[in-house]
Amino acid sequence: MTVLKLDPQRSLALCVSEDGRRISVETALVDPVDVGEVLLVHAGTAIAHGGAG
Amino acid sequence: MRFVDEFRDAEVGRALAGEILSLVEPGRHYKVMEVCGGHTHSIYKYGVDDLLPANVELVHGPGCPVCVIPMGRVDDGIALSHEDGVIFTCFGDMMRVPGSEGSLLDAKADGADIRMVYSPLDALRIAKQNPDREVVFFAIGFETTAPSTALTLKRARAEAIENFSCMCSHVTIVPPLRALLESPDLRLDGFIGPGHVSTIVGARPFEFIPADYGKPVAIAGFEPLDILQAIVMILRQLATDRCEVENQYKRVVPYEGNVRALEVMAEVFELRPHFEWRGLGFISHSGLRISDAYADLDAERRFSVPGVRVADPKACQCGEVLKGVIKPWECKVFGTACTPERPIGTCMVSSEGACAAYYNYGRFAREREVV
Repeated sequence: MTVLKLDPQRSLALCVSEDGRRISVETALVDPVDVGEVLLVHAGTAIAHGGAG
Repeated sequence: MRFVDEFRDAEVGRALAGEILSLVEPGRHYKVMEVCGGHTHSIYKYGVDDLLPANVELVHGPGCPVCVIPMGRVDDGIALSHEDGVIFTCFGDMMRVPGSEGSLLDAKADGADIRMVYSPLDALRIAKQNPDREVVFFAIGFETTAPSTALTLKRARAEAIENFSCMCSHVTIVPPLRALLESPDLRLDGFIGPGHVSTIVGARPFEFIPADYGKPVAIAGFEPLDILQAIVMILRQLATDRCEVENQYKRVVPYEGNVRALEVMAEVFELRPHFEWRGLGFISHSGLRISDAYADLDAERRFSVPGVRVADPKACQCGEVLKGVIKPWECKVFGTACTPERPIGTCMVSSEGACAAYYNYGRFAREREVV
């Protein structure tokens, strides 16, 4: 998922998936995160930087 | 899209298939287990096995998180959903997993307040919106999903949300792999290691496979070229008498895993002495429960849970499918009594289940000639 917007104080990011779905993602496990970055997300939580596959 | 398109290149795929062909010994049969259900799904979605020589057989492992939840655990969830004032939340796949007397979806149709969520955070949000109700989250999954549950419990504690609790059914990947390796039913030549679990746990936990059992492991991503390259790595190890854990998925998996995730899991969870797996029985130290430090957020301590063991239906052969002993189409009820619309076994429910992958991609039988 690609990061669109960040809420660093709450460790949340608004992300968009490959198919255009937008969700809030917990980023506490991978902070710091930048807008435009690709994150690997599981169950609403980013678990790694990069690698959509 | 970055990280996707470059791993779906057909020309590179054909080149890797040629390399695989050059690495196999004619007359030898190779059995490689892909541990993760996500790999099984990708293999059939992209036709990866069609690129393999007939003497390279992919065997499907126990890495689908929904498939391994036993019937008794579903019954426990349904019992909790019928408690007064409870909103029971779970992932979509879990809604259709059959218990002994129906699924959570059936219980919802009977009037229980059961809601599908995308993440544990969604469940916590429902708790905040319904302060006069008890919200229970049915947590399932391997080490990939467990950190998400752990973070949510920490968030519930930090925000003093008292009407939220979790029925923890998280499992760990190494104990069932060891059980499979000890099983006399199965002879394997190597493993495609689970990419997403390894993102959390790293490569180190799989080193016992080459060290104790002499089998190569290649941790792989989920695109077709990832899987083909992992098969090349395994066959190359076999061809050169090497045996180690290789990491094909380096763009995501660090050797030491996600240290922050491991720390939060260690804080919130502890190992259960035993946990029952559908089709595999009880496996020691293979399940997680909520630690004493977070006991107030444990639904199994907050409510009375029946905890009754329920035998799998006799017609269903999910156990053999999960152990890689039979292919889905060899099950007596595959595609007839058991379909994605009316599943009998869990492997037909989840998108990561081997039976669902075979059914959805038209693999109703498979006869291949050995080169």
